[in-house]
Amino acid sequence: MDSLQGKNSNRRTRRLAALLASAAMLLPPANNACADAAPEQGVVSLKYLNYHDSQSGDTYKTAGMSRDRINVNALSLMVMVPVAGEWSVAMTCTEDSITGASPAHHGWGFPADSSSGASGELRYAGDLSVTRYFSKGTLSAGSSYSQESDYISRGISLSGTLSDGSKNTTISLGTAYNSDTVDLNKPAVIDSKKSESPRSKRVFSALFGVTQVMSQNDIMQIIVTWTHGKGYYSDPYKDPDVRPDMRRMFTFMTRWNHHFEAPDGTARLSYRYYTDTFGIRAHTLNVEYVQALPHGWEITPMVRYYSQSAADFYVPTGDDPFVAARVDGMQYYSGDQRLSAFGAFSYGVRVAKELGRSWMADVKYENYEQRYDWGISGRGDSGIPTFNARNIQIGLTRKL
Amino acid sequence: MERFGFRAMGGGCEIAVAEMEKEESKRLASLGIEEVNRIERKYSRYLPETVVSKINAQAGRNWTVCDEETVALLDYADTVWCSSGGLFDVTSGVLQRAWDFDRAAVPPQEKLLPLVKLVGWKQVERKASAVRLKQKGMQLDFGGICKEYAADAAALLLSGLGVRHGYVNLAGDIRVIGPKADGTSWTFGIRHPRKPEGLMASIPVTSGAIATSGDYERFFESEGQRYCHIINPVTGFPVMFWRSVTVLAPLAATAGSCATIAMLMEAEGLNFLKDSGFRYLAVDQAGRMYYNQ
Repeated sequence: MDSLQGKNSNRRTRRLAALLASAAMLLPPANNACADAAPEQGVVSLKYLNYHDSQSGDTYKTAGMSRDRINVNALSLMVMVPVAGEWSVAMTCTEDSITGASPAHHGWGFPADSSSGASGELRYAGDLSVTRYFSKGTLSAGSSYSQESDYISRGISLSGTLSDGSKNTTISLGTAYNSDTVDLNKPAVIDSKKSESPRSKRVFSALFGVTQVMSQNDIMQIIVTWTHGKGYYSDPYKDPDVRPDMRRMFTFMTRWNHHFEAPDGTARLSYRYYTDTFGIRAHTLNVEYVQALPHGWEITPMVRYYSQSAADFYVPTGDDPFVAARVDGMQYYSGDQRLSAFGAFSYGVRVAKELGRSWMADVKYENYEQRYDWGISGRGDSGIPTFNARNIQIGLTRKL
Repeated sequence: MERFGFRAMGGGCEIAVAEMEKEESKRLASLGIEEVNRIERKYSRYLPETVVSKINAQAGRNWTVCDEETVALLDYADTVWCSSGGLFDVTSGVLQRAWDFDRAAVPPQEKLLPLVKLVGWKQVERKASAVRLKQKGMQLDFGGICKEYAADAAALLLSGLGVRHGYVNLAGDIRVIGPKADGTSWTFGIRHPRKPEGLMASIPVTSGAIATSGDYERFFESEGQRYCHIINPVTGFPVMFWRSVTVLAPLAATAGSCATIAMLMEAEGLNFLKDSGFRYLAVDQAGRMYYNQ
């Protein structure tokens, strides 16, 4: 384990150094002649450094409180068009976050510690976890606490892995308990939801997984999780929005990597199924194939499909997408887009080439499109626009 | 979406993660927070055992061998110094000894001049991975670079661990990890430089970073003139032209450095911003806004 941590730390340092080099390259060139550091203009976009580790399903839904054979895929820079929209000047609106430091009182040093609710609220978060390593497995216990002006969350978790002697089979087990409290007294809360007494939510979850080396060329993994939550799920800042006070979730994920000896290629398949008592059912299917070619080339095409059904109480946009839809007679309702039905399709390809013994260059292209009528059921909310994204990354990597 | 707030880098910070189960979000956010703390502890000028304090203690004396991360930061400091025509200088921290924001007094020339002599990136000697400050009393201060670097580092870490939607906000310097779960952009508000609770503008951002440098973070006013914490290393005096500058760039380090350089360049800053090719919004002392579309 120690050497693995040492290796990880070297990798990380290299990525960080690459990050700073990229940042430097983007700065406008010097006006006066500086002997050393003038960056070249116009070639910046080809020099982003990217460290890429093989053997990885890059699905972001990797479940698990234990990190098994999943390696890290790190990006030091992502280029997406467009970067930003237009400035809107002198308008009051709600923001996700704020740039510009919170002004301190006159005086030296850090802003006053009193979270006088002055500029943004002050939030505190803490996390503690302990892992014990045995010869055949691990055991971890963790606790977490986070407090913001309108939300307090506390949690504890316990998880472990157990392998057989040859480490061909590894079993993972985990469980967690979370208790959250939401304050309904804030000014931005919808009037009908305001309340002096805070509401709470308690969530209990469990995970079970098996990773099995099937043969010299095959690895398979299955992970299932159950979650049971009870409490306040509605969004206090949205109207209309009333959600059930209980939510149970279940996920099933399976992954299979197969290496083909003759062509020296690896196929990676994964499928994830998600369902919950809000009525949402989602599927994610990810297929990619890594093919090694002569002279150090490698090509990896990829395809991913995601489909989600709407929550039972999702209220679609009506004829006019800008007017809140009617909710007469419904016990639960929400217009949150994320609870609607939609499907999304991504495809892409990555081409890589080894340069000498320690270096590699790669180019990756990915296209993502999401539509309300691409879900398996074919029926979604036509009031939600299609979303399209295209992603091109160019990288240079130093191998260990 | 989960938001995790914490204090670091002299202000309120926040990591937002969307489209992941709460457990996982929490675990990942805490790793991000750890990374921010690691960088802050490593490069603080005020704690005794940090990399920077050790280098400063050897000013005028011995060489200090640095690790890869520190060398990368020194290289970056060099590029920023060049790009700013020598105005963004990480050795200018010593000038803050003369500017006592508590006492709100303009320092006399005899106090300033000896300190100005201790400022100068050219006096930082480097040999492979070792560094030495030429004169006794010189000080390195990564304060102007660290915060943005930490935002990029935390975002890089989270992105590598599978986060595809979220952002890292360290006391106002924001690096986006990915757009909102449904692909739409985050909306970031820009603090009004003269109204502490107000916002003066906002902009939707899908990727990249946004950073703001302003004269309202630490300052005092004396006889109708505001003296802020951004000090010109050549004159020894705080800059006075802009109230705030906001820049959008692919990396937080770049955005933050450009914003600070524009502040330091004062009137010339506008041309610098235009040449950079980045989106910017700058407000001068009369409250006039300059921005590109």
